[in-house]
Amino acid sequence: MKSTPVAYGFLVLGLIFVVVAVLYVIGGILPTFTSSGVAGPHYKHAILFGVLAVASLIAFNFARPRTV
Amino acid sequence: MSFWQALFMGLLQGASELFPVSSLGHAVLVPSLLHWSFKQSDPSFVPFLVLLHLGTASALLVLYRDQWIQIIRGFFAAAFRGRIETDPERLAMLLLVGTIPAGILGVFLENRIKSLFASPYEAAGFLIVNGVLMLGFELVRRRTERRAAVDAASGVQTEDRFAEAERISFRAAALVGACQALAFMPGISRSGVTIGGGLLAGLRHQEAARFSFLLATPVILAAGLVEVPQLFSSRVRVGEYLVSAVLAGIAAYASARFLLRYFRSGRLDPYGWYCIAAGLVSLALLALDL
Repeated sequence: MKSTPVAYGFLVLGLIFVVVAVLYVIGGILPTFTSSGVAGPHYKHAILFGVLAVASLIAFNFARPRTV
Repeated sequence: MSFWQALFMGLLQGASELFPVSSLGHAVLVPSLLHWSFKQSDPSFVPFLVLLHLGTASALLVLYRDQWIQIIRGFFAAAFRGRIETDPERLAMLLLVGTIPAGILGVFLENRIKSLFASPYEAAGFLIVNGVLMLGFELVRRRTERRAAVDAASGVQTEDRFAEAERISFRAAALVGACQALAFMPGISRSGVTIGGGLLAGLRHQEAARFSFLLATPVILAAGLVEVPQLFSSRVRVGEYLVSAVLAGIAAYASARFLLRYFRSGRLDPYGWYCIAAGLVSLALLALDL
């Protein structure tokens, strides 16, 4: 599905995931969004959001229309 | 946990991780039935499990080393090109799509689900459910074979009518990946539900097993690597645990080789019946406190 709005949607999503991943690494900012509810770095969550960011950026590259 | 118990648990984990019989269910049930006193809630037990998982993941990496090289190359090629052109590229993207739901559910739900269903009674109950699921997957598969009027002479010929892992749809890959979350309940097998999901998506048994093993590798490896810092805790007997991990890896490698050969023409039914029988016997033994 090649579409500019969809592609840029994935790009924005990817950037949001990058920010969330960084916040989880820093720790103390997102304790309510973890299963333990404990402040501090949450590397599992950071890796997950890192993977989601990569997947979103790949989806952006797949979805963006190309000029030949 | 004694040295011999650690070795036994390593062998059990490695052998049952890839068979569709639930390694977690066996890890909960067997020590209880043998009246072993070690507590799985003990902080030193987590690093032990971490090493066993790393052993299993290493075995899968060794088994599929050539394919993983192609998959990783294909992943980067397709990601940068923005288009899929070859089978390894498609498989790489299918594995990414299948891993994401398992990762999300694993990170946010795994500990909660495991703590809810950690008793041997529940593990035995879910083992029976797992058996029924395996038989159900095969029932649906047989119907599909009848509907497609597959009248081949042998099981291998029947299997040839179905697809390879690379041909699974992206939606099916995501669903199969999400099914892995069911395995957080001790007694439900990760490989069982993913192989079953692959069968429902129209894959050959052997290809469903291959897709299941490839899908499991990043999740098991990541779960293990994230917990590696816990190995440096002073209470951990790394030497003993390493021997168990090597044993788990050898058992996992042998299991995977056996299963890939078995699924050329074999089905999930024997494992389904085994799970039902093992669950019922375990429930009886637990109730009688033998």
